[in-house]
Amino acid sequence: MRTKQSKIATIQYLIIGLGIIVCVWLLPALYRLVAPNTSRTPFVVYSCLDSSFIQFETINKQVQYTDFKGNTFTKHEADSLLPLFAFRQLVAEGRLPDSLFGVALTPKRIQQNTFHFKTSPKQLNKPAVGLYTLLESASGRVDLQLPPDVFRLTDKGIEFIDCETNTVNKAKSLSFSRELEKYGFVFPVQLIWGNASTRKDYDNGFLLTDSQNRLFQLKMVKGTPWVRVIKTDGCTITGYKQLFTIEPANRLLVGLVVSDDNQLYAVRADGSMTHIGIDSYDPQTMQITIIGDMFHWTITEYTATDSRYYAVDARTFEQVARAIIPDPAPSIKERIMRYVLPVRLRFTSWDTQLIAPNFE
Amino acid sequence: MLRAIFYKEWLKLRLFWGLAVVVHIALIGYLLLSLRSTLLSSGVVETWATMIGRDVLMINQLAYLPLITGVCLALCQWLPEMQAKRIRLTLHLPIDNQLSIGAMLGCSFIGLCLLFGLDAVLLAGFGQVWLPRELVWRTFLTCLPWYLGGLIGYNIVSWWVLEPQWKIRCVNMLIGAPLVALCFLTTQPACYIQMFPWLIGLLLCTACLPLYSIYRFKLGKQ
Repeated sequence: MRTKQSKIATIQYLIIGLGIIVCVWLLPALYRLVAPNTSRTPFVVYSCLDSSFIQFETINKQVQYTDFKGNTFTKHEADSLLPLFAFRQLVAEGRLPDSLFGVALTPKRIQQNTFHFKTSPKQLNKPAVGLYTLLESASGRVDLQLPPDVFRLTDKGIEFIDCETNTVNKAKSLSFSRELEKYGFVFPVQLIWGNASTRKDYDNGFLLTDSQNRLFQLKMVKGTPWVRVIKTDGCTITGYKQLFTIEPANRLLVGLVVSDDNQLYAVRADGSMTHIGIDSYDPQTMQITIIGDMFHWTITEYTATDSRYYAVDARTFEQVARAIIPDPAPSIKERIMRYVLPVRLRFTSWDTQLIAPNFE
Repeated sequence: MLRAIFYKEWLKLRLFWGLAVVVHIALIGYLLLSLRSTLLSSGVVETWATMIGRDVLMINQLAYLPLITGVCLALCQWLPEMQAKRIRLTLHLPIDNQLSIGAMLGCSFIGLCLLFGLDAVLLAGFGQVWLPRELVWRTFLTCLPWYLGGLIGYNIVSWWVLEPQWKIRCVNMLIGAPLVALCFLTTQPACYIQMFPWLIGLLLCTACLPLYSIYRFKLGKQ
C-alpha cells in the first residue's frame, strides 16, 4: 500500500514538473508575442570618399543617413559618399564620377567588382545531408547544368551515385578519389563546402580539407577531376573550422575559410591564401555580411552582444577602419520579463535550426 | 485474465485498427506515388538536387497523421469505458488495477508502434528504390518526432479522458497540449536529432499519467 502511495506521489510530482516546464517555456514565448522586440540593426557601408562608415537607419518609417561621428546626411549626399554602392542612382542622375583614386569608373566595371556574401549561424548549424553536387565547370555552355550524379564521402574516398539508377558509379568514384590522392590528399574528408546552385556565372567546385588538415580545391573539368592544393604560405593555420566556396564576378577569389582560431582568410584564384584584417569571426555564433566593391570590403559581424564593422582593402585585405557598437541596453519590456520570469526555456534559437532545450 | 482483457480490447478496437491500417497505407502509398510522379515529371536529377539543396523531403502531409491516429485511438479506447462508468467493471476484476489498465494501455501502445513501424518499413523499403540511403535516413529522422508525437498524444488524451473531473481535465489539457506540440516545432529535415532523448523521456513520463487518472477515479472523484 505504501509502495502504491509513493508511486502516486511520484506521478503527482511528475505532473507538477511537467506543468513547470510548460510554464517556463510558454509564458516567455507568450510575452515575446505580446511585446515583441522592435529594435532594428542599421545597415552600414564604408565610404571610401569620407573614410567612415555610413549607416542607413529607419526611424519612424524615415531612412536616416548618418556616420558614427554623429554627422547626418541627406539621401543625395549619402549617394555621393557611396559612389560604388549607389552607382545605379548616380548613373541615372548623371552624377557618376569618371574616375576614383585614378581608376576609371564604368557601370560594368563597378558591377564586376561588386561582391556580396552573407551567412549566419542558423544557416550553418543544421544537420548535413551528406550528399554533394559537383557541377561541370567547363561545359562550354554559358549556363551551368546539374550533373547526372551526386557524391558522398566515405572513409576511403568519394563515391558518385548515378541519380537515374541510384547505383554507385565506380569508375568515376575511383578516378576522383585517386586524383585527390595523387595530390597528397589523405582521406577521410574533414570539411567540405561547395555551392551547387546553377544560378551563377561559373563554378569554383568544392573546397575540402583532408585528415591532415590540408586544404584542397576540387572541380570537375570536362568530366574529369581537377585538384589544387591551396598554399598557406605566410598563414599560421593549424586547422579549419569552416569553409565557403564563392564565385565573385571578377573571378579573383575561390573561397573564404575560417581557421580554428577564428581568423578569416580569403582563398585567391591562384591558390594562395591571405588573412583578412578583422579581429575574429566565429561562424557558429556570429552572423557575417560582406559588401565588397573595387576598393574596399565592408564586413559586418553581428554577435550576441555587439555589432562589429570593418573596412578592409579589397586587394590586400588589410584593415582600413573598424568600429564596434555594443548592443543597446535591454529595453524595459525585456527587463520586466527577466524580472518576472527569471527562468526561461526555449527549444528554438536564433543561431541554430536544431531543436534542443536551452535555459536562459 | 489478461488474455480476456486483450480479447475485449480487440473486440472494441478492431474496427479502429482496420481503418487506421487502411488510412496509413493509403497515405504512405499516396506519398510514394507522389514522389515517383515528381521523379518522372521533374526528372530524377532535379528532384534529388531540390531535396539535397533546398531541404525538401516531400513528406510534410504525413506530419499530423500519427498524432491523429494516437488521439483517435485514445478516444475510441477510453470514451466507451467512461460512458456510464463502465470502466468500474474492469477495475473490479480480481486483478491488480494498475496491471489491468496497464495491459489495456500497453496493447494499444504496441499496436501503435506496429502501425508506425509498418509506415517506416513501407517508406524506407520503397524510398530506397528511388533515393540514396542518406535521403531515406533523413526522411526517417524527420518523421520520427511526428511518430513520437503520436505516442505522446495517445498518452495525453488517455490521461485526459480517464480523468473524472472536468476542471482537472482542463488543467491536464493545458499541460498536455504544449507537450504534444513539442514534437511539431519545425518541419526542417532531421532537426530533432538532439531532442530524441528528451522526447523519449517525455514519452515514458506521460505513459504513467493515465494511471493517475484511474487512481483518482477509484478515489471516487466526481
